[in-house]
Amino acid sequence: MDRVIEQLPRFLSPLNLWFLAEAMGMTLALTFFGCGLGFLLAFIVVYMRLSPGWWGLPWRVLAILFVETFRRIPFLVITYLVLFFIAAFVKGASLVLVALTAISIYSTAYASEIIRGGFESVPRQQIEAATAMNFSRWQTLIKVIVPQSWPVILPPAVVFMVAFVKDTSLVSQIGVFELTFRGKELNNQGFSGLLVFGTVALLYFVMSYPLSRFGAWLEHRLAAPRHQKPERELR
Amino acid sequence: MNYTFQFGVVFARLPELWQGALLSLEIGVLSFWGGALLGLLLAAFKVYGSGVVRWLANSFIVFFTNTPAVIQIYFLYYGLPEIGVLWSNVTCVIVGLTLNTGAYLAEIMRAGFISVHRTELEAAETLGFARWQQIRHVILPHIAKVIYPALANYFVVLMLGTSMASIFGVNELTGQAYNIASDNYRHIEMFTVVAGIYILLTFIASLSLAFFGRWAFRVRARIF
Repeated sequence: MDRVIEQLPRFLSPLNLWFLAEAMGMTLALTFFGCGLGFLLAFIVVYMRLSPGWWGLPWRVLAILFVETFRRIPFLVITYLVLFFIAAFVKGASLVLVALTAISIYSTAYASEIIRGGFESVPRQQIEAATAMNFSRWQTLIKVIVPQSWPVILPPAVVFMVAFVKDTSLVSQIGVFELTFRGKELNNQGFSGLLVFGTVALLYFVMSYPLSRFGAWLEHRLAAPRHQKPERELR
Repeated sequence: MNYTFQFGVVFARLPELWQGALLSLEIGVLSFWGGALLGLLLAAFKVYGSGVVRWLANSFIVFFTNTPAVIQIYFLYYGLPEIGVLWSNVTCVIVGLTLNTGAYLAEIMRAGFISVHRTELEAAETLGFARWQQIRHVILPHIAKVIYPALANYFVVLMLGTSMASIFGVNELTGQAYNIASDNYRHIEMFTVVAGIYILLTFIASLSLAFFGRWAFRVRARIF
């Protein structure tokens, strides 16, 4: 404990704080871009999975295979795989790009489950009605399914993003300059582990907690009317 | 694109990978049961506890679910020796994962606790159930049915999470793969095979957990 108190002034130097802030920015950037790209790609994967009939079979199989495969591989192993594959076939790819690719693959697999859950919450009759009105598949999706399912998708999506802020810490393993990596560096510079990792944990908390509160608020806000409707009518 | 895949060298080392997989499973199972006990305690504190106890349990849960498990283990691994606690890397990983799992499972179990309605207990009482009969025939089956799918799902997530033990030099599946790959420079093939092993392991785990749930608690768990 004495070591912590002794090192505290040196640890809180402006340069160190700036490096930590920069590393936090990197973590947030990886989270937002990775999740954003992941949800975009997941939308396509779900669209593939919903393709009808015999002609759609290969697409469906492909989508299910992708999701089931990457949901069952640890994120760390995905990161290593992407790193070594890219290192073997592309010359001079940046580590951030590698990390972003790994994160996108991982988040696509999980996000497509979230989106599919949302789409399946739309009553079947709605889709039948749209078909009866001669909507095309794309029109049905955009004009009928998405407007009704986004309140179901959004809260778990935010929860997933919160989880992602924490999952990106594993990317430090391949040397991307983010918060965990910075923590390891500071520890290697001789700062006390209690101090460094306590601070890093606190910084993760600062990023993650507001987002998780936001997720809880969204869930309450968006989900409440659906469940409470009959009760309200009774009163 | 001038890379020649050679899986032979990797398959020759399968026994070592198998040992790693067993260690992964061990870490996973140990921290799951530890976490389940901790989670049960925390959930009970949170639901039935008084002011201070509830606040403590709640802050534990909030803190541990909002920081990465890796950082928690780093804290144990590099921080604790400074106050005189020297644990091996495997111990640090298991304790860290247990604390983390406990926080997550507490939320799941809390949902199970509050899903038992007072009216059900009253009904059981009306039918002349003794206290233990109420627990055995009403409370436990109800809670089990609510939390079993979430627990089974979390076990699979935790099995994947054990891969982070490799960061601390534990020779579980990922660590073992990394060691062997630095031996023979077959990183791509090695991690492809390891990914396959993880898929197989978690698939077996989900399948058997789903069947067990159907047999024991009549839970209709989704496998896919």
